[in-house]
Amino acid sequence: MSDWFPLWLSVRVSVVATLFASVIGVTFAYVLAKWRSRWSSVVEAVVTLPIVLPPTVLGFYLLTLLGSRSPVGGAWERLTGSPLVFTQGAAIVAATVSALPFVVRAARAAIVNVDSRVEESARVMGMPEWRVARVVTLPLAARGIGAGVALGFARALGDFGATVMVAGNIPGRTQTLALAIFAESQAGRDGRAATLAGVAAAVAFAALLAADLLARRRDREGR
Amino acid sequence: MIRLDLDLRLAHFPLRVDLDLPSRSTAVMGPSGAGKTSLLETIAGLRPGARGRIEVDGQVLLDTAAGVALPPERRGVGWVPQDAGLFPHLSALDNVRFGAGRARGRVDAAIDALGLEPLLDRPPARLSGGERRRIALARALATSPRLLLLDEPLSGLDAALRDRVLPWLKRIRDEWDVTILHVTHHLGEALALDDELVLLHEGRVEGRGTPIELAVRPGAARSSTTGLENLRRVRVAAHDAAGGITLVDVPGEPALAIPLVAELPVGAEATIAVRAEDLLVVVGEARGLSARNQLPARVVRVVRGEGEALLECATPAGPVPWFVRLTPQAVAALGLVPGAEVRLAAKSHSIRVVG
Repeated sequence: MSDWFPLWLSVRVSVVATLFASVIGVTFAYVLAKWRSRWSSVVEAVVTLPIVLPPTVLGFYLLTLLGSRSPVGGAWERLTGSPLVFTQGAAIVAATVSALPFVVRAARAAIVNVDSRVEESARVMGMPEWRVARVVTLPLAARGIGAGVALGFARALGDFGATVMVAGNIPGRTQTLALAIFAESQAGRDGRAATLAGVAAAVAFAALLAADLLARRRDREGR
Repeated sequence: MIRLDLDLRLAHFPLRVDLDLPSRSTAVMGPSGAGKTSLLETIAGLRPGARGRIEVDGQVLLDTAAGVALPPERRGVGWVPQDAGLFPHLSALDNVRFGAGRARGRVDAAIDALGLEPLLDRPPARLSGGERRRIALARALATSPRLLLLDEPLSGLDAALRDRVLPWLKRIRDEWDVTILHVTHHLGEALALDDELVLLHEGRVEGRGTPIELAVRPGAARSSTTGLENLRRVRVAAHDAAGGITLVDVPGEPALAIPLVAELPVGAEATIAVRAEDLLVVVGEARGLSARNQLPARVVRVVRGEGEALLECATPAGPVPWFVRLTPQAVAALGLVPGAEVRLAAKSHSIRVVG
């Protein structure tokens, strides 16, 4: 088994996508948690959609949004000189959007659960809200956020439908682990498909296990 | 000096308070849900709906008419919420340091003032209730507040723990340049700590005065979880170490014997408390009674409640009435009616020094 490109591509795409999803998702979750308006439910439902939509539907919308003829895709092309769709960049976008709702939902719940007394204490002690968020709220919500990030990573790693729609299935360029397994299986190379499937399962399992161990260690050290 | 003129919509009634509080230390009492906590939170800036004016030592914290509303972080108040609100992810020391910025001297002074040295390494989860309150208090003090807002600083602590935290509060009142406003459910706490007491009922000020003046009013008794207590300012007259008692002079009454408190020098003032249910009523001659204290008195009023009765009794020269809680059965058996001549008896150990 010589060609590990799909594995490295998948790891790279999911790591970068998880980073994006974490930053965007935690910011979003914080605003949703603190924003008392009925519109926050609407916004949350929209952010959650990628979980329940068939990934191909998500991919279809992303393709529409990022294609060369769309304003976003067009702007990207003018800026970088090449189209976004059917590239690794598109795979990262697809994985980010897939991972995002897991981060947002877990982080929002964790932030809402932080004792508001504790946050208010910090405010009264002289801290503006952004500093309270950084030194009190987010550290106290870290466990829940971490769980969401781990789920998001696993989801990004496993994405098939959205990736195949916007990034294609180009061996050696955009063929991630999930896509490669499909391709190998279709081509009758069951042995290689089985190996790649085993690797995918192992990586996802390791990520979830690591997240849980980190959370446990955190609990032991403090709290 | 705190000046308040506030209007805040609460769930069941509006909180409307118009008060000038010149005292160094003021207690707020009232039944649960009277708006006490909301009042403190409004002053701290945590109730955005509040309208009116708040001024502390000349600085305006809120003046909705003039469009002034300082955010909580710029009000310069110290706040100790009911559950202490410690940061669970930080050690006790980091909690105290949290808001102090570069004022390390303040941190050390607060740690020292509250005797926290042995606790500093521990996370809040490994502190007792009383220790948590002290950490929260030190944390608030370290931010150099003008005004300290304490929300039931001693609630949830048992009597022994209360007695241990109360002296720290007194020390802060006496040694730190800070005004204290605190909510309490314990008359004894207000008597020990405060120059003034405000009674709050359904969002309105129902009474104000010195704690001892208000202690005998039904409003104060109603909001005190320690029940109705007879409280007196006394002066230590003599110690009898061998006999295990201290004699104290009570204005207008015979001297009372209380359990020995050798740490109070003769001539020192103190506040004593006798729970209304701990007083015995004796009709006629009482011989061979072990209770050391007996006061001749006359029944002024008999108030009957559900399953209990309250006697208001006057001693010949005492300025304040004594309250006795009895069962209706005892009232009937002894034939207690207004005008009846009785003796009130209290064993030494039913008298506590509360401040």
